[in-house]
Amino acid sequence: MFAPRPKWSRSVVALVALGALALSTSALPLSAARADTTTTTVAPTTTTTLAPTTVNVVGYSVVGPAFKALETAFQATPVGHNVAFTNSFGASDTETSNVINGQAADIVNLSYPSNVTTLVGHGKVPGNWKNQELTYGHVNAALTGKRQQTTYPTRGIVTDSVVVFVVRKGNPLGIKGWSDIIKSGAQIVTPNPLTSGSAKWNLLAGYASQIAQGRSAHKAQNYLKSLIAHTVAQPTSGSASLAAFLAGTGNVLLAYEDDALAAVAAGDPVQIVTPPQTLLIENPLALTTTGVTNPGATAFYRYLFSAAGQGILASLGYRSVLKSVWSQTRGSFPAFKKPTDLVTVTQLNTKGWPGVDPEFFASQVVFSRGTTTYPSKGIVTYLEQFAGSQS
Amino acid sequence: MRRSFKGLAVTYLSLVVLIPFAALVTKAFAGGPAAFFGAVTQRESMDALGLTLLCALVGSAVNAVAGLATAWVLVRDRFVGQGLLNAVIDLPFALPTVVAGVTLYTLYGPSSPFHVNVTGTWIGVTVAIMFVTLPFTVRAVQPVLESLTFNAEAAASTLGASSAHVFRTVTLPVLAPALLTGTGLAFARAIGEYGSVVFISNNLPYRSQVASSYIYSLTTSGQTRSAGAVSVALLVIALVVLTACGAVSRRLTHGRR
Repeated sequence: MFAPRPKWSRSVVALVALGALALSTSALPLSAARADTTTTTVAPTTTTTLAPTTVNVVGYSVVGPAFKALETAFQATPVGHNVAFTNSFGASDTETSNVINGQAADIVNLSYPSNVTTLVGHGKVPGNWKNQELTYGHVNAALTGKRQQTTYPTRGIVTDSVVVFVVRKGNPLGIKGWSDIIKSGAQIVTPNPLTSGSAKWNLLAGYASQIAQGRSAHKAQNYLKSLIAHTVAQPTSGSASLAAFLAGTGNVLLAYEDDALAAVAAGDPVQIVTPPQTLLIENPLALTTTGVTNPGATAFYRYLFSAAGQGILASLGYRSVLKSVWSQTRGSFPAFKKPTDLVTVTQLNTKGWPGVDPEFFASQVVFSRGTTTYPSKGIVTYLEQFAGSQS
Repeated sequence: MRRSFKGLAVTYLSLVVLIPFAALVTKAFAGGPAAFFGAVTQRESMDALGLTLLCALVGSAVNAVAGLATAWVLVRDRFVGQGLLNAVIDLPFALPTVVAGVTLYTLYGPSSPFHVNVTGTWIGVTVAIMFVTLPFTVRAVQPVLESLTFNAEAAASTLGASSAHVFRTVTLPVLAPALLTGTGLAFARAIGEYGSVVFISNNLPYRSQVASSYIYSLTTSGQTRSAGAVSVALLVIALVVLTACGAVSRRLTHGRR
């Protein structure tokens, strides 16, 4: 008896062993990557005589770390002692469809208002969510005992931010403004607009930057086409985009200012360039139909809009919606020369998100009469076919 | 006993496999056949399907060869660490695919220690597919190779056949059906793969987006019928390939008798 021993067997072993080694040693870089979707449970720190409740929080991908800090701080307050949390964070559109499909949610903090509107359409969030603050928030004198000096009503917006550029340390391409990121050699990373709210803010910011500079809608569309053509990666979420950028893809990342500040604070070898004109990001927060009857959820909602909650958010890089907190913290954020340099969505379309969403992101592209290159609906959907074409 | 097994199998298959598939097909055709074909033949969809098929074909073909070699080494060779290697083979199944994707991105991406950057290319997607589907071919071939006695090979060898000749004419025909089954499974798994490929592909629509990611983006943007249609297209392709593999495999088995 004998066993045939082909000569190549040893090299195969070596190859397989090398593969196994590569697998084991590569565990290290994983810590730098941000998971697409994370679900964790935060246990209450102490127990009091208050009835224990669990609050299910669902949020867009990059807000996860902020909620961890907010929940811990809330649990350290007398009212929050007995409140436990479950968390689920991921790409905003994905989280929205998860909630529609039955995922437990008492508080939703999504990337842009259309996601909440979608939840209203499916009966998951009360239709009056933009006024919830008046019932459950810090402005309700019956709940807080005093009326606060605020910018209320914020109409359901819990945090503001702006779209910024994240570049490699030293800014090797010398990127200053929007025209620099469509020059040859620029490689943009921005998430996929079909799955990510962050992607929508980013693309709208590029468009808005042109409008802010007095250019026509057609010129702004041409600009958007160049921007998409210079895009080399469209990961599924804002967090995944940052991970891809940190792994070395592209040389400019479009991101939320807060997420960019978090990356810099984490010591990542990047720096932030705030363009001279950009878009104001407004992230909505709402109590769901189960949340409005959950005492823990309404208490946490009130906390999020309070000076304490807003102070934590401001320290994490969000531009506060509370006047008192904003006036104390605005010095740490780059200012804009003119008010018109910071464009709002309602300036792009008077209907706001209900108007902007179909205009830019409708799945069916519609052209107005007399043109086949400038859609009146689904602008981004149409331009996506040029993604990566000038990389 | 036989009847109760049959009842269990039918009930279980219905609940776990058939009903979900039926629901998916219903969803896919909810807008009528024209909407179904429209969704599948849209350029973005065809580009995603084409890329996915290419990568799945190449990946499973490479794994047919590499998996056979690995199974051979595990069964016929004796070396230090063999038990460990045998255990490691299945790890791609255990590793969350997203982790696999990120790991491959760091190894074969822009900051690769080997200076190899395959991200955003079909090669990158294929590498990810090779990683997650290797166990299929190895584990399909291994038991057949183990049960194989050396009598026929020894006889051929004493009759003067070279070892390559023995392998080609005696060993390979016995292994072929199992190898084909394993490769078919790897292919089917590959066309549906999401987690490990979505990151390394860079996810550019029309260019580097795989079918599973395209379907996912349709789902999250509310286009569930189109998502269902493209999914059904993937399922049909898988069904055709698996059926063909099964038919060829059966023919090979009977041909040997």
